[in-house]
Amino acid sequence: MKRRGRGLASMWYPVGFTVAANPSGAVVKVNEDGTAVVLTGTVETGQGALGVLSQIAAEALGIAPNDIHIVSGDTDTCPMDTGAIASRTTYITGNAIAAAAAMARDTLFEVAAGMLGVKASQLEAKDHKIQVKGFPARNVPIADVALRAHIVNGTPPIGSATWNPPTVPLDPETGQGKPFGTYVYATQIAEVDVDDETGEVEVLRVTASHDCGTAINPMLVEGQIEGGVFMGLGFAVQEEILFDKQGKQINCNLTNYIMPTTLDMPAVECDIVDSYDETGPFGAKAVGEPSLVPTAAAICNAIYDAVGVRIMSLPATAEKVLAGIKAKRAAEQKQIPA
Amino acid sequence: MAQDLMDRELDVLDKERVAPVETLRRSDEALRLPAVAPPTALPLEPPLVPQVGEQTRAVGLRAQRPDSRNHGLGLTRYIDDIALPGMLFAKIKRAGIASARIKRIDTSRAEAMPGVCAVLVGSEIPVNSFGPSLQDQPLLAHPIVRHAGDGVAAVAAVTEQIAQAAIDAITVEYEPLPGVYDALEALKPESYKVHGGDTNVYASKVIKRGDVEAGFAQAYRIYEGRYYTPGIEHAPMEPFTSIADWDANGRLTIHASIGRITLARCDLARTLAIPISRIRVIGTVVGGNFGGKNEIRHEPVLALLAKKAGRPVKGRFNRVEEFVASTIRHAFHMDYKTGVTKDGRLIARQVRMVLDGGAYCSFSETTLGKACILSTGPYEIPNSLAEGYVVYTNKTTAGSMRGFGAPQVCFAYESQMDEIARDLGIDPVEIRLRNMFREGSMSSTGQVLHSVKVKESLENAVKKFGWEVQS
Amino acid sequence: MIVTLTVNGELRSASVPPETTLLVMLREHLHLTGAKTGCDVGDCGACTVIVDGLAVNACLMLAAQADGRTVTTIEGLATREGLHPLQKVFEETGALQCGFCGPGVIMTSKALLDHTPEPTPQEIRTALTGNLCRCTGYVKMIEGVQEAAAMMRSPQSPALAGQSPALAAPEQK
Repeated sequence: MKRRGRGLASMWYPVGFTVAANPSGAVVKVNEDGTAVVLTGTVETGQGALGVLSQIAAEALGIAPNDIHIVSGDTDTCPMDTGAIASRTTYITGNAIAAAAAMARDTLFEVAAGMLGVKASQLEAKDHKIQVKGFPARNVPIADVALRAHIVNGTPPIGSATWNPPTVPLDPETGQGKPFGTYVYATQIAEVDVDDETGEVEVLRVTASHDCGTAINPMLVEGQIEGGVFMGLGFAVQEEILFDKQGKQINCNLTNYIMPTTLDMPAVECDIVDSYDETGPFGAKAVGEPSLVPTAAAICNAIYDAVGVRIMSLPATAEKVLAGIKAKRAAEQKQIPA
Repeated sequence: MAQDLMDRELDVLDKERVAPVETLRRSDEALRLPAVAPPTALPLEPPLVPQVGEQTRAVGLRAQRPDSRNHGLGLTRYIDDIALPGMLFAKIKRAGIASARIKRIDTSRAEAMPGVCAVLVGSEIPVNSFGPSLQDQPLLAHPIVRHAGDGVAAVAAVTEQIAQAAIDAITVEYEPLPGVYDALEALKPESYKVHGGDTNVYASKVIKRGDVEAGFAQAYRIYEGRYYTPGIEHAPMEPFTSIADWDANGRLTIHASIGRITLARCDLARTLAIPISRIRVIGTVVGGNFGGKNEIRHEPVLALLAKKAGRPVKGRFNRVEEFVASTIRHAFHMDYKTGVTKDGRLIARQVRMVLDGGAYCSFSETTLGKACILSTGPYEIPNSLAEGYVVYTNKTTAGSMRGFGAPQVCFAYESQMDEIARDLGIDPVEIRLRNMFREGSMSSTGQVLHSVKVKESLENAVKKFGWEVQS
Repeated sequence: MIVTLTVNGELRSASVPPETTLLVMLREHLHLTGAKTGCDVGDCGACTVIVDGLAVNACLMLAAQADGRTVTTIEGLATREGLHPLQKVFEETGALQCGFCGPGVIMTSKALLDHTPEPTPQEIRTALTGNLCRCTGYVKMIEGVQEAAAMMRSPQSPALAGQSPALAAPEQK
């Protein structure tokens, strides 16, 4: 019969490299019409990085994300970037882009200050306008300012910046130090049905609550969490590279290397924790890798809750779970009733 | 199989013979035109509706991805969708034996095949080693093969089929060597040493805080467990694909599905022994990464084939190569020992872990470091000691994969946490709340933590799930 | 040998070697690169196209087997007037991440909706089980197919106005 169980797991995860420098550079160029082009050396690997980065640039310049065009992934045209690794793009590349955009914006402020008759420090960029702080009615369209900067003042608004998270090397003996700029946190809870006659585990739903700092784009954050739960599910109950005694892989194809399909995927309930990290761009941290970290532990704890079998080695295949159930029954039968 | 193919071919021939004359004529006329399919209709509606209104922030918007229009229309151009004029196709011959010395490679039959334009073996590569921390990995094994997925020779030919046939025509004579196929075996002094020397351990890490023995001495109970997690394949849907193209000035352009283009450029310069300024790496849209596409794989081989052949060369891993010749997630053996007080506070934790690094280092050092640092879990533990080792084995190279060791240690520390909670009769939520990091907590490396939201994540998850805490 | 197909509503021929798969013919001879080579052995579904109303793995079908048939690829789904509802919903919800599996997922879903206009979530899951995705966890895809089905059932759907007759659901054989 099917037995239901629930299990939870929490985790912490750092953003960026361990101590090692992992800088990002960025260039932001505001065009004559107030739209902008961003140059970054990172590469879109599916996570939606370019969308998030254009939202960061747009926020800094007071324009819309689709006013931004991002040129990425070309060593000839783009400034150095350590790349799409270690969940670092939003936090580190994002910080570089925010700083570069702020530099270009400062040029716009200088130009607008003359147009509005105020000091540059009194200005802010919002809704395609440069406006006086506290007096939004006193404004000029960003397009007018940008054009003037190019063809009248002769100061095209171009900003460039680099950013690298501050770290302190680890002591080689004790490992004490400050290896990362910041960390993210998460908790996931899994609900499973375990068939106690076959050992088969069905994951019914996973509730995933993640701290990623400010969610620059909540839709993409959900996408990362759902994908992470999927990968954690495979890690928990299905995936394993098998080797023969001579070190050759024996399930090296998608027929025999089992990973979750649409039929295995549980319902995912996403929650984004209200959070703001002052070292990140507009308070953002990361979500890419962390989303899969706690899933397997939560599922295995749920299996224990359902049938009392502690999984010590992944994946929790039906064979392993059933063997555990049988061993438990045998042990119980041996016990002399009190 | 061959018979089956032949039957199918005969079927097709029969069909052609009986095809009505009009059909043939029609086909014939159609063939006079280039066989180009009708174009994709590009809808008139603008792809991205401006979503920023009056006094609306860009940050926090559920804005559409800039690439989603192309994705949906099938117009996103991955590398395999790019064809340069005169481009050749490369294939790499895999060793298929995990530990051996190459005695002789005979490429003469391959070189003589019509349509084969270039053949390459390891000894021809200027600097035949790469790696992000230790440069211990050859592009084509020479003369020692250290795992079954090692490449031993490469061919560029006018079609993929001819390249494959040429690879099959290359004969390699091996002298089998002993090997080691288990991480714990590899730790033993008498084990075969994958890279020579006197040990298979190539990286180790210690993270130490407080006095773990004193902590255990004070503990109300001590829990011990050995946990294991296996090797995992990244399995991105897009296999590794790259194109190498030289211009007349000796400048190389590499189109690659790599997430770290600057590291790739450094590795290319080093292995090809040319200046960085002569290399351009274009990272096209990557069809899934998950850590597997963070370093070069076959790009210098393609570059050398392209140089020999004088034409651009594309290489695409098949799905089997994607498993055996790329990196995988490290298998972890973990011993956890945790001392707790009567009310469920963790006061001491000792972790020992051995990582199966496979044949080459790749991102093992980073993975080990992160795993050791994170092995305490998101909990304040005054006394902790984590020691980790990565060992060489004659298996598929382990490298970076989404989480860098964190999913492995999380499986261990959270499984043990559940065990402790049940044994002490404390609700799993409650025991975590008692131990969790808070703002200003010190981590296992003594780092003072800020923007700590682990308690909030637990509370939110508990509420959303509907978990009733037993007090 | 000469293979003639109706591709996305128009007749096209190409001279291909007999061992050519439909996938290679589409990608290399007709330059329709929407269908992807993910595994080339029918495991991943990234090459899915619709042949005479049925979703097939183009890597498993010889071009010759498709001779004289009607093939619809991802490139043939949208019109000048609008996106197919599946494309529209997937775009708005970020249902695709790296996008490599996307053409296959969308074509499988289209074949499903052509025959089953009101699929249950379970029917959608069953239909998509042969399309592997490593990024998304399928969540937004499954929801997206449901949403697109609802859009297609509502007669005033603007997205449907642009559907060309050539792409209307073919009759089942």
